[in-house]
Amino acid sequence: MGDTSFSGGWIFAFLIIAVIFGWGGAGMGGNANVAAYATMADVNAAINNQSTQQALGAIQLSSANNNYETARLISDQNMNMMQQNNTNLINAIQGFNTTNQSIANGFASVNQNIANLGYKMEECCCGIKTMLLENRLQDTQIALQQSQTANIVDAQSRYLLSQLGTFVPTAAAV
Amino acid sequence: MNPLMMLGNNNMMMKAMGAMMRGEKPGDFLKNLANSNPQLQGLNFDDLEGTAKTLCDRNNVNMNELADKIRDFAKSNT
Repeated sequence: MGDTSFSGGWIFAFLIIAVIFGWGGAGMGGNANVAAYATMADVNAAINNQSTQQALGAIQLSSANNNYETARLISDQNMNMMQQNNTNLINAIQGFNTTNQSIANGFASVNQNIANLGYKMEECCCGIKTMLLENRLQDTQIALQQSQTANIVDAQSRYLLSQLGTFVPTAAAV
Repeated sequence: MNPLMMLGNNNMMMKAMGAMMRGEKPGDFLKNLANSNPQLQGLNFDDLEGTAKTLCDRNNVNMNELADKIRDFAKSNT
């Protein structure tokens, strides 16, 4: 073996190694009590690991909460969209109904106007026919009156001629 | 008991023995060892005595008693 005086601080290096990693262990007899001790680094590592696990747990919980919140927002959004769609459909149907009602009212008005027009046309036609008949009657009456007048004049002429002499049916007109 | 077998039970002690025999500085050896051993990280290797005392106190170990046992072990194997 070489230097056993542990010059240059080697004894402290061995102490550090023995404390941290243990020295000999069960097979070492008198040194069995010098087992591996937990160093500050081990404790810190354990604490850090615990902190990491707690942080991971918090992250997982936060993630789960975020997922739940996201799902809830999406659900609410879907519900809002469905409600909006229903409202739009209802409005559209109501709009169509209003339009249909307006169209129906328009057709009813048109039909009524057409009916009125037909009535007025018939009335006008009837008036024209009546006027034509009246005109024809008036012409007939005038013709009749003229004929009667002519007959009277003819009768008077015949009478006057008979008083004067022989009636000549073929006498020339004056 | 064969001291080599005893040392073989502790790879770290064997590495330290080898480093000491090669004439390395204990602070440098521990710093290099800390690169692959998280248990050593964060320790002050510029003050080995203070660090050793702190570790012994923290783990309720009598530093002088443990140092004597380490010396006895080294003597018995030279």
